[in-house]
Amino acid sequence: MKEKSIYTFGIDVGGSYIKAVLLSYSDNPVIVDKISEKLRKRDPSKLSDDMVNLILERNGLTFDDISYLASTGEGEMVNRKTGHFYSMTTHSKGGLFFNSDVLTVVDMGALYVRAIKINNQGRVLDYKMTGQCASGSGQFIENISRYLGLAIEEVGDISLGSKNPETPSGICAVLAETDVINMVSRGISTPNIIKGIHLSIANRVVKLLSSLKAESPIMLTGGMALNKGMVQAIKELSAESKYEWEIYSSPDSIFAGAIGAAMWSGFRYQLLKSNKGSIPNKIKG
Amino acid sequence: MENFENILERSKMLSFDLNFEYARNWKSKEASRVILGYTPIYFPREIVHAVNGLSVGIFGSGDRKQIIKGDAFYQSYICHIPRGIIEMVLDGNMKSFDGFVFPSICDVMRNLSGIFKIQKKGKFVKYLDYPQNFNPEIGGTFYIQEMKHILEYIFEINNVKLTTENLNNSIRLFNKNRQLIKAIYDLRREFPWRITYEELYHIIRAGTVITVEEHNEMLEGVLDFLNNEKGEPLDKIKVIIYGAFCEQPPVGLIKTIELAGCYIIDDDLVLGSRWIQGDIKDDTDDPLKALSEAYLKNSTFSSSMYDVNNPKGERLVKLAKDSKADGIIFAAPSFCDPALLDIPQLQQACDKHDIRHIMFQFSENTGQFKVIKEQVGAFSDSIKLWV
Repeated sequence: MKEKSIYTFGIDVGGSYIKAVLLSYSDNPVIVDKISEKLRKRDPSKLSDDMVNLILERNGLTFDDISYLASTGEGEMVNRKTGHFYSMTTHSKGGLFFNSDVLTVVDMGALYVRAIKINNQGRVLDYKMTGQCASGSGQFIENISRYLGLAIEEVGDISLGSKNPETPSGICAVLAETDVINMVSRGISTPNIIKGIHLSIANRVVKLLSSLKAESPIMLTGGMALNKGMVQAIKELSAESKYEWEIYSSPDSIFAGAIGAAMWSGFRYQLLKSNKGSIPNKIKG
Repeated sequence: MENFENILERSKMLSFDLNFEYARNWKSKEASRVILGYTPIYFPREIVHAVNGLSVGIFGSGDRKQIIKGDAFYQSYICHIPRGIIEMVLDGNMKSFDGFVFPSICDVMRNLSGIFKIQKKGKFVKYLDYPQNFNPEIGGTFYIQEMKHILEYIFEINNVKLTTENLNNSIRLFNKNRQLIKAIYDLRREFPWRITYEELYHIIRAGTVITVEEHNEMLEGVLDFLNNEKGEPLDKIKVIIYGAFCEQPPVGLIKTIELAGCYIIDDDLVLGSRWIQGDIKDDTDDPLKALSEAYLKNSTFSSSMYDVNNPKGERLVKLAKDSKADGIIFAAPSFCDPALLDIPQLQQACDKHDIRHIMFQFSENTGQFKVIKEQVGAFSDSIKLWV
C-alpha cells in the first residue's frame, strides 16, 4: 500500500515579510508550494492564516492533511501551529536544503545578520550575530532605497553598475542615513551610494564570518540574499580579505527559514510518531 | 465560584500592586488587625494569621518603579531587589505596615533589615534567623523562640494573644492553601497548556498579599478551570526554572521563556508558598512545635537553605525526573550569591543524570529579552531535534 504523504508547513514571520512553505516531507523533501507576503502593518496572525488557507486551497488539501505546522522567526502569533523552531535552527536547515555541502549559513534578514556554523545535518555548532544597530540590516537598505526613490527589487542591479562607491558610516543607521543625505547633496550617483551601503553591510558580514572562523561553502539566506549587489559586495570584500570562501545564494533564499521549519516539522513529526504518547494530539491521533 | 478570567485579572492587579491597597483596606476594617511585611523566601504566615494579622510578601518593585533612592544604599555589585524595596518603603508604599520580618537568606537581606531599623520603618523590624541545626531539641527549640519573638512584637501592637485553637485553625487554612497549590502544579505538569505559567505565577504571587481564605477561594476556582479546560497543546519542551527564589524575574522574561518553545512546569519563584512539603499537623496541643517540625523535616530545598545531609543537586534531579521535565533553566539574579554559588554543583548533578540545562542571569528590571530568547529558543530546539 502506498504510504500517505507527509505534508508539513513552515511559516517564517520576519521583520518585513511572512513566508509560507508547504513541503512534502521524505528523505528527499519537495517544496509543494510557497508564498511570501509583505507585512505592511497587517496582523501577522490573520495574514499567515490567509496564506496557509490559500496554499491549501490551490493544492487541493485541507488542514487535516497537514502533519505538522511550525512557525519560526517572530512566529509566536501564528495560529494552528504545532510547534515553533528557532530561526537559527531553521535557517541552518534551509541553507542545507539549497546546498547539502554548506558548512556556514548567513541569515540576512530585515532586522539583523547572523552567521551560523553548522554540521552536515544542519545542527548549529556556533553563531555570531550583529548588534542592535539597524545599519547592519535589510530594513536599513529598504529605508535608504525609499529615500532614493528606488524599489527594493532594483537596488541590487543598480549597485552592480557602481564604479566608485561611497561608503557611509557603518556604525549607526542614523549617522549613515545622514551620510546618504549628504552624498545626494554632493551629487554622488545613486549606484555609488547604493554600492557603498552594500559594502558597509558586507563589511559587517565578513567580520562576523571571520570572528566565527567560518568554514566554506557559505550559503546566504534571508531577504537580503536576494539582493545581487549585496551578494557581490560580500564576495568582493571577502576576496579582498584573502578569504577563499565559496559563497552561494539561492533564488529562494527568502524562504530559507520557512523551508527549514517545514523540514524540521517533518523530522519532528516522525520522531514524535515513533515515541507514542508525546504531545501534540495531532501526532497522537 | 468566581470565573477564571476574573481571578486572573484580579491576580495580575494584586500581585504587582506596589501600594498594597488590599492590605491597607483589610486592616482598616478592624482596629486589632496588623500587617506584617516579609521578604523572600519562607515565613510561617500561620502565626500572624492566628493573631489577627496579615503577612504580606515583599518581592521588590520589579520593573515597575524607577530606582533613585535605593541605589544610594547599595553598591553596584549588589542584587537589585533591596533597591526596589528601599525605594518603596521610603516612598511610603508600606506606611500601613506594622512590622517587617527579614528571613535569613543572605547578607544583603540582613543589611536590608538594618537599613529598615535605621530608617525607623514599622513598629518593629525582625531579622528572622532560621535554625542551622536540624535536631528538634536544638534547632527546633531555637526556631520556636524566634516565632515567639515575632508574636511578642505583634501582641504589643494589638494585644491579641495566641491560642492553640487559633493557630491550629490557621495551620488548617494554610494546609489547604498548599494542597490547592500542589494540586494545580500537579495537574499543570501533565497539561501545561491549560493555563500559561505567566498566569499561574500571578495567581500564586497574589496569594502573598491577600488573606489565605480569599486565596483559597481563588485557587479552587483555578483548579476547577484547569479540570475543565482542555486547551490545545503545542509541541514544546517541559522545563523547570530554578534560581529565582528571592529576586523575581520580570514577567516579560517569563513570557519570553514560554514563547521560545518551553512549558515551565516547575520553578522556585514565590517558593515560600510551597516551602513546606505536605501538611503540617493541625490538631496538636503545641502547634508552634508542629510548625517547627515541619520546617525541620518537610522543607523544600533552596540555595539559601543549609541542608548538608540532603544534597540539593539530587533533589533537583529527582524533581526533574518526577515531573518528566526535558531540561532545567537556571535563571539566577545577577549578583545573587546563594543562587550563583549553588548552580555549579546543581549543574554537575544534572550532567551526572543527563539532564540538559542552560543558565542565564537577569535582574528584576531587565527590559531586553532578545538574547535570552535566542538562548532558550536554541535550548528548546536542541532538545526537540538533537535526540
